[in-house]
Amino acid sequence: MIKRPFFALTRPKLGYDIPEPDPKEPKLIPVPSNLILLLHDLIDSAGEPLIKTGDKVEKGEKLYLYKDSEEYTVSPVAGTIKVIDTYSDDFGNTSTYLVINTDPGLTAGTDALRYELKDTITSADEYLRTLPGAPPLKTLADPGMKINTIVITCGDTDLLSTTHQYIALRFMDEIKEGIQVLKRITPVSRFCITIPENLTIKADITTAEVFRTSTIYPSNLPQMILKDHLNIVLPAGKKPEDMGICFMTAEAVVSLARAYKTKTVCHEKVLTVIGKQGTPYRVTATIGTPLRRIFNAFSIQANEQDRIVIGGPMKGFATYTIHHPVQPDMDTVIVQDKTNIAELSGNPCVNCGKCIHVCPAQIPINILVRYLEAGLYEDAADRYDLLSCIECGLCAYVCTARIPIYQYIRLGKHELLKLRADA
Amino acid sequence: MKPYKLTVSHAPFWHDGDSLFKTNLNIMMAALPAVIFGLFQFRAPALGVLALSLSSAMAWELIVTLASGKKASIGDLDSAVIGLFLGMMLPATAPWWMVIIGTFLAVVLGKMIYGGIGANPFNPVLLGIAILTLSWATHLDFDAAYINYDFNFTALAPLAAVKAKGALAVSDLFSLNDLVMGKQVGAIGTTFGLGLIIGGVYLILRGFVRWEIPVSFIIGIIFTSLCFNLANPDKYAGPMIHLFSGYTLFGAFFLAPENSSSPVNKIPMLIFGFCAAGMIILMRNIGAYDDGTVLGILLLNVVNPLIDAIRPKALGKEVRNA
Repeated sequence: MIKRPFFALTRPKLGYDIPEPDPKEPKLIPVPSNLILLLHDLIDSAGEPLIKTGDKVEKGEKLYLYKDSEEYTVSPVAGTIKVIDTYSDDFGNTSTYLVINTDPGLTAGTDALRYELKDTITSADEYLRTLPGAPPLKTLADPGMKINTIVITCGDTDLLSTTHQYIALRFMDEIKEGIQVLKRITPVSRFCITIPENLTIKADITTAEVFRTSTIYPSNLPQMILKDHLNIVLPAGKKPEDMGICFMTAEAVVSLARAYKTKTVCHEKVLTVIGKQGTPYRVTATIGTPLRRIFNAFSIQANEQDRIVIGGPMKGFATYTIHHPVQPDMDTVIVQDKTNIAELSGNPCVNCGKCIHVCPAQIPINILVRYLEAGLYEDAADRYDLLSCIECGLCAYVCTARIPIYQYIRLGKHELLKLRADA
Repeated sequence: MKPYKLTVSHAPFWHDGDSLFKTNLNIMMAALPAVIFGLFQFRAPALGVLALSLSSAMAWELIVTLASGKKASIGDLDSAVIGLFLGMMLPATAPWWMVIIGTFLAVVLGKMIYGGIGANPFNPVLLGIAILTLSWATHLDFDAAYINYDFNFTALAPLAAVKAKGALAVSDLFSLNDLVMGKQVGAIGTTFGLGLIIGGVYLILRGFVRWEIPVSFIIGIIFTSLCFNLANPDKYAGPMIHLFSGYTLFGAFFLAPENSSSPVNKIPMLIFGFCAAGMIILMRNIGAYDDGTVLGILLLNVVNPLIDAIRPKALGKEVRNA
């Protein structure tokens, strides 16, 4: 936790962490006996199921819930499906989770045989969506999107995380190979790569435009990269994809390069794990590994009322279970001791202006939060710039009244989308 | 293994550690140099007024929260700040009932009826003092208040003296040094210019007060009073008398930047401070009251929402009428 400095005349500066100059190999977590896979599809009793409990799956097998499902997941191990059930996230969005009981004896052949990976984006999307780093292949393969620029981010978007910087330091050659693959399989002409300015990368990058990003949060957020380096101000409520720009993490590019090189799918995700004392660890774990396994490996004890944060201190989410699985897009896991959890309050806004001072999107948060508290989402969007929010969380970080502003904003956006969808 | 519950909440999972309690505690600490000086200057009666004011302000808030069935909120020290400030703005001889009525007006009428902290359109302290001034002007007359005191400096309230006799006639009575060092009669906590400046600079450096408001306020005082002074030096006092007497410095660092009743955007803050100061000098020089600080800032509180509408365009916001 970074506390307020004694003198606070200027806006707070939260610096991104950087990996050690010569990083060690991450600690490899052995494949556990049970893996948990999340599938972005809903259980539907009317569907014609393709998998059921007790089914045997092979390593690298694509799993669809139903015959007409579009979403799939790939089993990183051979084994038996033990459980198929519904998972719901912090906003009540539901998906499905599968528990796979590992059984190495089941593997008949190598998974490479399963793939007929062609040099097209549709083929990549067909097999590689669950690669570590979660490459946005679905977006790239969507002909309606018209992506013309790919921005590869070697900086981590949230604080404390060093996952992508580590990948950039160690595997820059593979990133370059990945760019070549992307050039081959997509019609995209413009490639950009962001590298934090304090990260020393020795290799020459000629295949993409290099942007050196600032070390101060939130300069690695997509909206800030667009504004600072591509001179594009993202219109409120739009996504970068709507402007033809697709963001891709360094790890996604590396996994893509490896997939095309070896014609197999890699399932090992690199993670930054932060213990209760703030000690960073770097691990490689198979996608689907329950977090408990990782904590055990470093003797991190998560006890009653502690908090497990996935994705970083500013933008992440807290999970309710230590069995939460490692996901393709999960870069950071933080365990906070209950004594380190900052208290929130039900206070109203006192108009101290700290959020206004710190907001990178120049939103009148002091007024916005009043509208959001009152549930006036349309007014909040029309008059007080709700949709301009880039979701950095700095307002709630500095809030004197300790209002959960960021949560209000996320809820506001969520409700607004629902309102507009119903209208 | 016994199942246990993790804490589940939303991002961000860090906080800079600031809280209302800390902010208000720092504001009270920053006021201490001026308060302690006032206690030495005006002795035991001053202590009585401050103690009664602070405690009654907190009591009023507690009573209102209890009566309205809300959670007790005096722990955030906001009413303590109101009580302390109100006491600091009263003469040491203020009668007990006036102090209690003053804190009632400030806390209940100035803050609680609007919904409590953050909802008050006016600075509660100023609202309380304004009503007291209008109701019992004689009890707030600093010349009359200290009639039984024996000071080793000019025992005349500077602003009242300037108003009555003109700047030229009183120019020898008040040296700048005396005014800065608190050798003047006035309210308990507002005479010690140096102490107020130290407290104010502390609050600005610590980030508890937005620097734009005090700075533009002081510039406004200097600019406006200089204009009057240059036009008629015999009648209108110079900037230094205005800056270091009456409630001016207290207003600049402690009253005008009150969070709820002041703007938060940069340009509005500058306008707010400057205009409030301008109004104060206008009232002092051509108005009926000796010191216009109270009404000047209250007037700008009224237009605050209007000024604060001047704000930068948000990122990616489309301007439809452009």
